[in-house]
Amino acid sequence: MSDHRVTKFAIPEIIFGQGSIGYLAQCSRRLGAKRALLVTDQGLIDSGWAGHVMDILRDDGVDFVLFDKVNSNPRDYQVHEGADLYVREKADVIIALGGGSPMDTAKGVGTIVGNGGRIADYEGANRIMRPLPPMIFIPTNAGSGSDISQFCIITDVERQVKMSIISRSLVPNVSIIDPNLLMTKGDQLVVSSAIDALAHAIESFVSPLASPFTENQALKAIELIAKNLQPALENRTPELMEQLSIASTAAGMSFSNAGLGIGHALAHSLGGIFDTLHGLVHPIVLPAVMRYNLPACPEKMCAIGRIIQGNPKSCSSSQGEEGIAQLEELFARLDVPHRMRDIVPDDSKLEQICRMAVHDACMLTNPRKADWEDLLAICREAW
Amino acid sequence: MVQPTDLQDLIGIEHSKLGFFQELRQKVEELKESNKRSEEQRREIAAILDGITDVMMVLSENLRIISVNHVFRHLFDDPHPEGKFCYELFRHEDHPCPECPAFRSLATNSVCRDTAIFKLKGRNLQFEMVASPLKNPEWPEHRVLIFKRDVTLEKEYQAKYYQVEKMATMGMLAAGVAHEVNNPMAAIRGFAEGLQRRLPRIEGEVDPELAQDFREYTDIILKECNRCQKIIQTLLTFSRPVSAAFSPLALNQIVTDTLRLVDHHLRKRVGLKIDLRLADELPLIYGDESQLKQVILNLLVNALDAIQGEGTIQIRTSFVGEAEVCLCVEDTGCGIPPENLDKMFEPFFTTKPVGKGIGIGLASCYSIVQEHGGDISVVSEVGKGSRFTVCLPLNANEGSRERTLFGPRR
Repeated sequence: MSDHRVTKFAIPEIIFGQGSIGYLAQCSRRLGAKRALLVTDQGLIDSGWAGHVMDILRDDGVDFVLFDKVNSNPRDYQVHEGADLYVREKADVIIALGGGSPMDTAKGVGTIVGNGGRIADYEGANRIMRPLPPMIFIPTNAGSGSDISQFCIITDVERQVKMSIISRSLVPNVSIIDPNLLMTKGDQLVVSSAIDALAHAIESFVSPLASPFTENQALKAIELIAKNLQPALENRTPELMEQLSIASTAAGMSFSNAGLGIGHALAHSLGGIFDTLHGLVHPIVLPAVMRYNLPACPEKMCAIGRIIQGNPKSCSSSQGEEGIAQLEELFARLDVPHRMRDIVPDDSKLEQICRMAVHDACMLTNPRKADWEDLLAICREAW
Repeated sequence: MVQPTDLQDLIGIEHSKLGFFQELRQKVEELKESNKRSEEQRREIAAILDGITDVMMVLSENLRIISVNHVFRHLFDDPHPEGKFCYELFRHEDHPCPECPAFRSLATNSVCRDTAIFKLKGRNLQFEMVASPLKNPEWPEHRVLIFKRDVTLEKEYQAKYYQVEKMATMGMLAAGVAHEVNNPMAAIRGFAEGLQRRLPRIEGEVDPELAQDFREYTDIILKECNRCQKIIQTLLTFSRPVSAAFSPLALNQIVTDTLRLVDHHLRKRVGLKIDLRLADELPLIYGDESQLKQVILNLLVNALDAIQGEGTIQIRTSFVGEAEVCLCVEDTGCGIPPENLDKMFEPFFTTKPVGKGIGIGLASCYSIVQEHGGDISVVSEVGKGSRFTVCLPLNANEGSRERTLFGPRR
């Protein structure tokens, strides 16, 4: 199926490296910033990075307006609040600093100020018909890949749904990736981000839309995470954090163009109903999802397994299984919840979660077709 | 709700990150269109402005010229008047004129009018000025719009009309008076001559001394009769209905004739000296006798009015250069305040009390001198006195205008 498909590979301008954040003001001005909207969250303000970014803008004489009413799993009303602020303050360029939440909020704000209406109007693929303001993203978690991707996930509070908005216009103009920003992260955040990135890489690698351009990025990301995650937890050196940054960015390039799978469909659904932290879902469901998908793409699973094991030999048929087992071992060694019951209050809503998940756009790019009962089986396995 | 998404949607081959190119192009088109419209509007306004025949200027608060219309450019040869001060060009001064209507207009935020005479390209031109404030909140400072209409001709005609009317009335009176006086004069003269003819017959019969007295007295009567007739004659020439008959004239003769008219006034004034310095050998000029007499009379009357009590009026004629004869009337009177200097030649401007004049004397002097192709100028210092100088060309054809009184003057 994927052999003769015409594919597309689109990524933003990426400025990568330690100290690259110093180029922020210059970039903003190049995009026409007179008064930027800086979207970030409380965590970044507490850690001092938001202050640092504001100093950079101030020193360079770029005026800005701060919007920090963002929490994890950003809500639709927060997007509209941000858009109102943008219009009221006559802002121009949107700068997002943070993890997936501020970046997705920024995408939502850009969508509304460029297209009007309500954010729910744009749920689905390619429904954005007018350009967004210029956007510069500074990811701080090396995980979500939102700074690279054409995805934007916003929670519709009323429907308790995490909406996926997919559009090439949601790819920011510039992504400034500075691994120095990762140095202050807590262990929990390092792990959950890295595993989110790993899930991006694995799910997009086996996607029917995968192309040689995405596959290389995905494999590179898997390799870097498998090799560097544990050392980074033990000793947070700039070099290790840089490797994780590269991994997250590569995974972002891969999934933005090839799509994800049922793991993310479930994670979105859980986030919508239980407001579960996205990063916590993947260590729990990823192995089960991989097992479910294994029959549909044995060679690719094999390749994943080989990389995780750090084994350059050619594939044996069982290598996929072994790789999955190794992943589970890795997750078990990490200080993260590994059963679904640890993060979901009760199993009464599992069916509702699975029924909702099948509508997620990520279902389309799963290598093996699944209905809600299949998803439920996966959840039970991970419970 | 939302249409189901499929794989093609995720690839989105036909969807790219939208830029503003389309909108930009549309905006550019709109701007072009609106630019065209504003250009048309600009042209229309420019056409309207070009149709205005008055001098038009937009000035800044400190009277710097911001923009002018084509009439202004026609009036001044300066190709770049913008940025210069209005008073620089109109008055060759380095400070604003007092009483400038522009200031009043800005201060009162209303339309202000005024008239003034400016000497431009060697000609005194009278302008009626209208200043209207231009206030725009977006401008850093207020501006003022000035219209200057050349009313030299209108004013001249008006003055002339009055003058002609006055002279015509005077002429009628004078003719009547002359006629009335001539009859008794003729009788007196006749009888005086009769007496003289009879003198030889009584000479032998009376005391020779008495006869001598009679001879002397009748001589005096006849001489005085002659003088009266001369005065009447002068009065008649002076008040002759205005004709444009230019003839060769001797300026000195005209001066002495005119002095005779005011002789009585002069003698009445105690402590007033007339210092008459007429140049010998003055070439003849070409002009209208009665009009030039008016000029001299006006200047004399003004000089008389300027002097309270003791003083001197000096009247000088001279031959200047090769082509001009000049007349100077200088008094040691009260002088003219500088702010009035440029208004003096305006018709109906007067500092005299009501009933003493309506202010067309100097205006008509001015227009008469102009018609003779000459020039009139004044130098004055308050408290010291004034000096009026009238220069007339020997060859009145040069630079002179039409000789008919109401003819066009361009």
